[in-house]
Formats: sequence, C-alpha cells, structure tokens
Amino acid sequence: MPKISVDKLEPGMKLARPVTGPNGMVLLGEGTELTEKWIERIRDMDVAAIYVDGPPVQTLSREEALAALDARFAPVEDKPRMGDIKKLVREHIESLYE
Amino acid sequence: MNRIDPKLLRHKVESIHTLPTVPGVLKRLSSVIEKPQITIVEISAFIASDPALTSKVLKMVNSAIYGFPGRIASVSHATMLLGLNVIKGLLLGVSVFELMQKTMHGLYEHSLACAVASRVLAQKKNLRAPEEVSVAGLLHDIGKVILILQFPREYENAMKEAGEKGISIFEAEKNQFAATHADAGGWLTKKWRFPLNLIDVIEYHHRPALARQAPLETAIVHMADLLARARGFGFAGEDLVPEASPVACELLKLSDQDIREVLQEMEDSMGVAEDIA
Repeated sequence: MPKISVDKLEPGMKLARPVTGPNGMVLLGEGTELTEKWIERIRDMDVAAIYVDGPPVQTLSREEALAALDARFAPVEDKPRMGDIKKLVREHIESLYE
Repeated sequence: MNRIDPKLLRHKVESIHTLPTVPGVLKRLSSVIEKPQITIVEISAFIASDPALTSKVLKMVNSAIYGFPGRIASVSHATMLLGLNVIKGLLLGVSVFELMQKTMHGLYEHSLACAVASRVLAQKKNLRAPEEVSVAGLLHDIGKVILILQFPREYENAMKEAGEKGISIFEAEKNQFAATHADAGGWLTKKWRFPLNLIDVIEYHHRPALARQAPLETAIVHMADLLARARGFGFAGEDLVPEASPVACELLKLSDQDIREVLQEMEDSMGVAEDIA
C-alpha cells in the first residue's frame, strides 16, 4: 500500500485509506476509485500525499536493506533468540520486495 | 571525564518546562497534568481549548497506531474511550512530537513503530488495556528528548561515542551522564504524576528484569523497542539491535508467528507517521 504524492495521482487508482480533512473527517472513503475530478479536488486541498492500493514502494534497494540488517544485528547475532529474530526480520524484509 | 552531578541532572530534567526552547503547549500541559486530582473533564477542556492540540489528538487516536474501528470525532469521545492514563500519555506524546523531530531525527518514527508493536503484543498477551501499553511504547524514549534539550553538547558526545565505539546509546549515556534516558524519563514522569505502570516501563525498558510494578508491560515494550530497531524503523541514537532480555523472553514466550504479525502490523502502520505530525 504505497503512499504517493498528490502530483503523481492518476485516474483509476484506488484509495487504500480514506482522505481526511483537518479534524479527521472523512472526505473520500477507502476504496474510492479516483477520477480526474477527485484528483483535482485532492490537489486543491492541503494534503501532500495519499495512500493508494498496490505493492509498497521501498526507499532502499533489497541489497541495501539486507546489508543494513546484517550491520544492525552483527554484535548480537549469536545471543540467545537473536538469530531466530534476525531470520524472521530478514524473511519479512525479503517479502517486501517480492 | 567530567560527569554531571546526578542531583543537578535530576533537577534539570524535572524543570524541563522552564527551558525557553520548550513549546508553550508543553509548559501549559505540565501545569495541568501535574495536578494530583485532575479529572477527565478538566483534561478534555484543556485539549479542547487548543485547536492545534485537538487536531493532533484526534489524528493520533484515529490513526492505525491505535487501530480503533470507526471514527472518533470529538475530544470528549476520545477521552472517554481511552481513559485518563492513556490521554495524559498521548498528550505528552503529541506535544513532544516536534521536539523529537528537532532533537533526534527519526526518534518519532521509532517511537510510533514501538507504540504499534507494543499494542499488538499487549493484545496477543490479552492485557486488559492495550492502549496503555501502546502509550508506554510511544513515550519509552522521552528521556532522550529531555536530555538532548538540557544537555545538547553532552548528548552529542554520547551519540558520537556510540557511533565510534559501536556501543549502544544507553551505554554511551552512562559514560556521559552517570544516568540514562531511562532514568531521565522515569524522573520526569514521576514528577508529572504519570501512572506507576507507565513510569515502570519507561524506567526499565532496557532492564525488564528490574520492573516490579509492571513486569509484563515492561517486557512488551522492551521487545517492541527491539523489533522496531530490528526492522530499522526510525532512529533512536545508534543503529544497533539490543540483546533480548532473557527475563522478557521467558515472560512473553513469543512464537515466530507472533513476531511475524508484529512486523507486518508495524509495516502497515508506519506510512502514517508523517500524517500525525
């Protein structure tokens, strides 16, 4: 579920989360399919980015993310339970790039 | 190394609201939440008197961090739903948000991830008030903000030392201050009359074996902190995953599936971090 900036919105995208006003009032509900008209309205509002359906966009490459994971875990990898936790986190991170 | 006298350190932490760099809302908040017998009505009135604060509180309670179904549209509804303890913590959380961004970039993201993980773990362990544990997760590193505000130079040294020697920020703080962010957070929340459970979590999230008041909650936030760091959400002073406390592991007995679910919920919620700002 990526969050994308309003200038990259295109008709046909579906909202993965509602668009809300300043007090949390729902302006467009979850699942709304965006049309030119809605996109224009959203651009007129004071929101920077919204959530649309689709796979998440990762800021790091898979290799970068896994290298950073190794570095974070390096001092504790051999401690009890930590190897298992690292394995689970690695699987989780890998799943984000599938 | 010249360490700061512990008495002076504690005094400086407890009088944080007198610093000129602390936003007005935090100063007013400190006068309200220090009152011994504050009621939910008074707290609601305080929030409602400040539109910016109202909007921040509503955004927070409606976010994926709490995962309430449906919309909470008013402050009075939010306070009734969450109760005094959670609202007090939440107010502190939203009031220090900007400070967190200014003092340690990434700390707020780390704190939000920890809040989500704490809630999920509390639900898994069938705790009565998962929102209270979530607020404890949100505030567990509040002591870092306070230490940076009062002692910017010393804290920078601590972060530098952690980076250079590859030690945790917790250890580096000890070298620099003879106390840690966990102590600082404990002092402040005691002074502010926060619930004992919350104080316990903040004080012992690095050493859950010492928690007496709320051992289970403390173990949960300890693991939530660890998992947020393991996944690499935000920044909390250095980029290292701490070792899991054997006592916390024993208390929680998390299965692989539990950990997978925590990671997934953090992932799903983290996009909202900037929306809550």
